Amino acid sequence: MNAPTSTVQTDSARSATPAVVMRGISKSFGDVRALVDVDFELRHEEVHALAGENGAGKTTLMNVLAGLYQPDAGEIRVDGRPVRIGSPRAAIELGIGMVHQHFELVAPFTAYENIVLGAEGGGWRNGRSGRRAEIARLMEHYGLSVDLDAQIRDLPIGVQQKIEILKAVSRGARVLILDEPTTHLTLQEVDRLFETVRQLVAGGLTVVLITHKLREIRGIGDRVTVMRRGRVAATVEGAGLTEERLVGLLMGTDGAATARTNTPGEPSLTLEALRAAANERRQDAGESLLRLEGVSARGSVGDLVLADCSLDLRPGEIVGVAGVAGNGQRDLGDVIAGIQPIVTGRLFVGGRDLTDATVRDRLLAGIAYIPEDRLREGILPHLSLGETLVLGPHHALFGTSVVFDERRVDALARAVIAEYDVAAPDEHVPAARLSGGNIQKVLIARAMLVLQQARVGVLVAMNPTRGLDIGATRSVHRRFEGLRERGDAVLLVSEDLDELRRLSDHIVVMYRGRIVGTFQRPAFDPYQIGALMTGMATGTDGGPPNETGGGTGGAETTRPGRDSR
Amino acid sequence: MSLDLFLDPNLLRLAVTIAAPLVVAALGELIMERAGVLNVGIEGIMAVGAAAGFLATWASGGNYVLGLLAAMLAGALLCLLLGGYSISLRAQQISVGLGLLVFGLGFASLLYRAVVGIQFSAPRISVLPALPIPLLADLPFLGRVLFSQDILVYLAFLLAPLVHLLLFRTSFGLRLRACGENPRAADAVGVNVHVLRYVAAVAGGLLLGMAGAYLPLTLTGGYSDGMVGGRGWIALMLVILGRWFPLRVVGGALLFAYVEALQFQLALATQAVPSQLLLSLPYLLAIVVLIRIYRGAQAPAALGIPYEREARG
Amino acid sequence: MSAQADAATARARGSAVGRFVFRETLPYLAAVLGALVVAGLLLILIGADPLAALGTIFSASLGSLGGLGQTLNRATPLILGALAVAFAARAGLLNVGVDGQIYLGAICATGVGLLLTRDTPALVAVPLVLAAGFVGGALAVLPAAALRAYWGVNEIFVTVMLNFIFQYLAEYLATGPWNDPRSGEAISRPISFAAQLPILSSGLGAHVGILIALVIGAILAWILRRTLLGYSIRAVGDNSTAARVGGMAVGRVMLVALVVSGAVAGLAGGIEISGYYQRLILGLSPGFGYMAILLAVLGRHRPLGVVLAGVAFAVLLVGSDSLQRSVRLPQSAVLVFQALILLAVLLATSLRANRRLTVAGTPGSTP
Repeated sequence: MNAPTSTVQTDSARSATPAVVMRGISKSFGDVRALVDVDFELRHEEVHALAGENGAGKTTLMNVLAGLYQPDAGEIRVDGRPVRIGSPRAAIELGIGMVHQHFELVAPFTAYENIVLGAEGGGWRNGRSGRRAEIARLMEHYGLSVDLDAQIRDLPIGVQQKIEILKAVSRGARVLILDEPTTHLTLQEVDRLFETVRQLVAGGLTVVLITHKLREIRGIGDRVTVMRRGRVAATVEGAGLTEERLVGLLMGTDGAATARTNTPGEPSLTLEALRAAANERRQDAGESLLRLEGVSARGSVGDLVLADCSLDLRPGEIVGVAGVAGNGQRDLGDVIAGIQPIVTGRLFVGGRDLTDATVRDRLLAGIAYIPEDRLREGILPHLSLGETLVLGPHHALFGTSVVFDERRVDALARAVIAEYDVAAPDEHVPAARLSGGNIQKVLIARAMLVLQQARVGVLVAMNPTRGLDIGATRSVHRRFEGLRERGDAVLLVSEDLDELRRLSDHIVVMYRGRIVGTFQRPAFDPYQIGALMTGMATGTDGGPPNETGGGTGGAETTRPGRDSR
Repeated sequence: MSLDLFLDPNLLRLAVTIAAPLVVAALGELIMERAGVLNVGIEGIMAVGAAAGFLATWASGGNYVLGLLAAMLAGALLCLLLGGYSISLRAQQISVGLGLLVFGLGFASLLYRAVVGIQFSAPRISVLPALPIPLLADLPFLGRVLFSQDILVYLAFLLAPLVHLLLFRTSFGLRLRACGENPRAADAVGVNVHVLRYVAAVAGGLLLGMAGAYLPLTLTGGYSDGMVGGRGWIALMLVILGRWFPLRVVGGALLFAYVEALQFQLALATQAVPSQLLLSLPYLLAIVVLIRIYRGAQAPAALGIPYEREARG
Repeated sequence: MSAQADAATARARGSAVGRFVFRETLPYLAAVLGALVVAGLLLILIGADPLAALGTIFSASLGSLGGLGQTLNRATPLILGALAVAFAARAGLLNVGVDGQIYLGAICATGVGLLLTRDTPALVAVPLVLAAGFVGGALAVLPAAALRAYWGVNEIFVTVMLNFIFQYLAEYLATGPWNDPRSGEAISRPISFAAQLPILSSGLGAHVGILIALVIGAILAWILRRTLLGYSIRAVGDNSTAARVGGMAVGRVMLVALVVSGAVAGLAGGIEISGYYQRLILGLSPGFGYMAILLAVLGRHRPLGVVLAGVAFAVLLVGSDSLQRSVRLPQSAVLVFQALILLAVLLATSLRANRRLTVAGTPGSTP
């Protein structure tokens, strides 16, 4: 680990003592070693980026600092004093606050109620007195303005984030940890966030930014600590950090994923047979596989969540759907899968009108769905892995038979475990015991089964690589490309614009339930796409000039903000 | 049989009296559910409250306060047990609730038999006397219906706005509701979710026990097995019907109480309809109401889900 | 623990029977023992001798042929009721209306039984009466099932309310149109002799109901494990959202699960009439409904566990009947004891579940 030379120039005596020092921190969950002997140092009034891919341990480390987890070993010092942070409350008392990736806001409460919850101040009566003046002052000091009487559920994510920050700051946080803060933000909102961070630091705060996005790391961090597999790989200065160096640190010198040794299962005739059948695919390219015409759908409160959407997927196409979460992508997926009814418009699969077809019929027709929320919508948590695997393919697998052939299911599960490298003891393990990445592998395998069972195949995938590490993500992308070669079509909904730009033949943008734009490869300009995602017609609010972005894969090359390229 | 039958002030007065225990029980359950604790054993807890309330009053020669306190204590203890299972042990709340229900029903009966022993005629106490509010009781119609009730009935209806104030205008109430909506958020800001849920359980238990005592003390003057007669389940429904708002719960309680009172009146007025059909009316009404209330009921988001800090995923 | 979690963790924990017996039953036995101790203390409080009470229970229920017969007879509705609850629970539904279903099943069985004449061959009469019970139970749960399947109305409330309604219906029939003026106020006329359930053996005094219950248990177990319907039920019970995404007709599955559940409970009612009382009476179900729920939880919602628990409870019930005479212990004491057992078992299983949780951590999102 490098000993970084200090480039922070302030007169404050505090700058001599680091704000936070963590030494030798280790933490395990059962036999999963999340943190191994980690050293981390945070200086006053710096923006420190904590980087690494999913599963590297960055959030765990910060959770320890924020009092959510207790370390198995190691010590923590705040302003030079050794401390024990036993709870989030203890952390706040030490001036350490954390804004999590999934906000902890009470949806039916107002912004003010959320901010003061737990520290309401005397004389609190339905938000009319108490700490309002104090909160208003804080808002001004840090440049965060928010409507205090709005209900959380009516507020956009960017505003909710500000409320979370205010929450921490109003409790005396001097160190603010932001966990993957840009997850649901468009590029413009990310720019605004970085402005906010700079204002916070100017106001005296120290900020840790947990992220796995390269663009953010290079755009904002004074210093960068890179973690890999529970250990610290390096801590370096942000200035002058080249992209290759950063990627090298993130991936490590041994970039190849270590293959797992599995006990070889018996050859699965069923899987082989299915694949063989799928290879004899008819070649009528050009005929639309999936077509939506003017499709609208209603949400649970009766409002229109999809309005007049039209799509056309041809064989061998990958169509990407970009959009900030909550603008109808999920409903689009649900409508195609048949879970949500279509109010107006028509849906055609391979020429057949399946507008009113049941989910079962659509599965048999070859529409495979990888749902958004894998735990809530995808798995059968306590049944066996095999039983989760065949949920969907079972219609075609068992047809009209009354009997549920467990042995066939188990054999299929063993084959999938081997082929997809699923980390599972055997085929009987309950699905809930698997990690998120392995669950996703099972869901993808299931979708592949559905595609192989039908003549025509359309895969609707909602954020399929979220939470997967780089190796698993790459293998998923390879499978999608394999589908394209076989003549299937893929509708890829993703919040990761890089992924969309890398894979899609064309990208549609959704905003407020409508498809507001279509981009053909290679003209995938992230700023134009981002503008549509936030509802602006064209152009940006003073951002960098448009570039003709190349979709050649690899890491992001643009920077936000006003730096020259 | 004329339409006047349905608006007879005596009938309405009876309805208000019958509604009182429903209101108290529903408020108790509401407090618990707002904190995220589900209790389906209300029926059993009310039974114990009824038995304890009756027995303490009878054995002490008519000390109603003692009876009330005994019932409240019993309710609080049982709900403390429920809390232990639901909050600290994170057991399935429905299973625990049903277990307590059966336990309560049996224990109430056992307790009664143990204290009363073998008697020639069932022991009775006199029902609480009416306490007319001066001036207001002289009003033509409402005077008889609303302002000539006994003190416990007044208390019951006063509780509703009190609970409302507690939940929506105090910081305690804010934190309690946070525990029921998003315990993780509450924990993150230092609210002790477990303790608050226990407090809610005990507070709710006090009210549930008290509600049970209303039955012998204000309605029947005695105790018999099965006297709760489904009121616990109806209180559970009232909470949903009232969308977890204390003031709305009162309306639902009055509706059910009216039908129950009506059934007495009808049984007296006409012999043609079998008594059992009339007795079924409140339950049929409940089913009809259920169909209506299941449109868009927004429960506290974390209701019935145990909270653990280190859970992931 | 949820029905699905129970059944599945027990299965996935490995196939060795010995390991199963040790890991699974030990906490249970410990819990039951604990409950026994508490009950014993309560007995001492009332002035009874707990050991003598225990002895009376076993000798009354198992010590004699007549007692054994009684035990088997009592076990029948308990087992069937618990099977009913457990089956619905696998679909994630709670059928609290077993009492009402027993009553309506008994009502239908009595109705058919009253219509039949002496000359009807038993081979026809008995199945007819039992079938009537089956249908009656299904009808009793149908409103709740339909409301839950298609309108999302919680079945707990509806079934509970229906309990009261069907109980009143039975009361009306027994005291009114079907009343037997010679026998008493709330007892109906006897059903046709032809419709009486045959007995196992003359010495035993137990009717074949117990065999029917066991057969039903085996059938239900087969349905759950080996049929597509069973897979659908288990999937819906584990995660109905995922089941819907997987193309299952969740509403229809719930409906079927509840209807089967109700039918099985109704069959219990029919058996009580055909095999035991031969008349419709009040108090046909002395709390079988709640007991069935306790039994289902104790039996971990699996048919085998449920049968064993049912027999155990029957021993308790029959034994405590004679205890009532000797120790002056009221019926309600049995309810308390059963609830204590449930609470003790819940304690044991929750403790174990929590220990597993803190040791292994929950898999899921990345750190």
